[in-house]
Amino acid sequence: MSKTWEDRIIREDYIMDKFLEKLESLKETKSNPFKVPEGYFDSLPTRIQDRIATNENRQSIFSQIRLVIKPQLAFAAAFIAVALIAVTTLEYIFKDKTKLPASTGVYTRIIEVDASEFTEQHFIDVLLDENKKSIDNKKNSDCYIDFLVDENIDYTTLIDEL
Amino acid sequence: MSEYSDKELLILFRDTERKNFAFNLIIKKYQQKLYWHIRKMVIKHDDADDILQNTFIKVWKGLDGFREDSKLYTWLYRIATNESLTFLKQQKTKYLLPIADYENQLKETLESDVSFNGDEIQLKLQKAILELPEKQRIVFNMKYFDEIKYEEMSAILDTSVGALKASYHHAVKKIEKYFNEN
Repeated sequence: MSKTWEDRIIREDYIMDKFLEKLESLKETKSNPFKVPEGYFDSLPTRIQDRIATNENRQSIFSQIRLVIKPQLAFAAAFIAVALIAVTTLEYIFKDKTKLPASTGVYTRIIEVDASEFTEQHFIDVLLDENKKSIDNKKNSDCYIDFLVDENIDYTTLIDEL
Repeated sequence: MSEYSDKELLILFRDTERKNFAFNLIIKKYQQKLYWHIRKMVIKHDDADDILQNTFIKVWKGLDGFREDSKLYTWLYRIATNESLTFLKQQKTKYLLPIADYENQLKETLESDVSFNGDEIQLKLQKAILELPEKQRIVFNMKYFDEIKYEEMSAILDTSVGALKASYHHAVKKIEKYFNEN
């Protein structure tokens, strides 16, 4: 098995060596099959240098334009910045004014005026009413607890049902 | 006039007054080697011309910052190789072509190209090379046509010598298979 494998490798190498020899002789006996236009390599350095010069000229034109418009751009940018600051400041000032809280004196006056519309009895009724509501709530809670105790519903069952 | 060494060319290039002269000498020294390297990848002369010009423009822009960590020749080859690979990639995406279709197009170009005047066996070899994956094609061309040593190729392609040898071996086997089948 190993011998056959080795033989195969040796045979393949031999065939490949023969093919490489064939390729080498092909290279030695034949000239380059690709051609270039007449005088191509003579003119190439000049053409490349021309392209580089054109690119650099274009770049220098761009940099000159940039130099000319740079102060104007800076002025425009400064104007926009000042305008933005001004708008933001004005917005801030007006926003603060609309939300300005009433002074303590104003609140006292509001309370005094509104309170004058109610009698003492009104306040007592409101407070009793609030108290009654909390008592009702407590009563309701007691009813629920009684119901759960009567029905023998434990906490786990209650959670499961929920 | 004897040819300047790469070191001398770089010294000349760094002299502001002789920069253009030095660059002209660099182009003259390497234009043919780089042109054939590119041409074998992209096949058409016009494409090779464009890529070669772009390569030298990149060299002009980057040469000031070239730190001589590698040889000038290695650096130039690397730029040319990358430019060629980028061009091929662009062509495939530009026309939304699968790789095989683009390679078939290149084969057709080869057959109809008036600037290719190889005989039948040379045409067959070029077609077989076009069947190879791009990286293998570069390795085969550099080893077979340009006779570049594996160590130098390793620096250019940033690939280990072992991987390059394996790549060349596979390339030869595929070309041999193509020759047997066609």
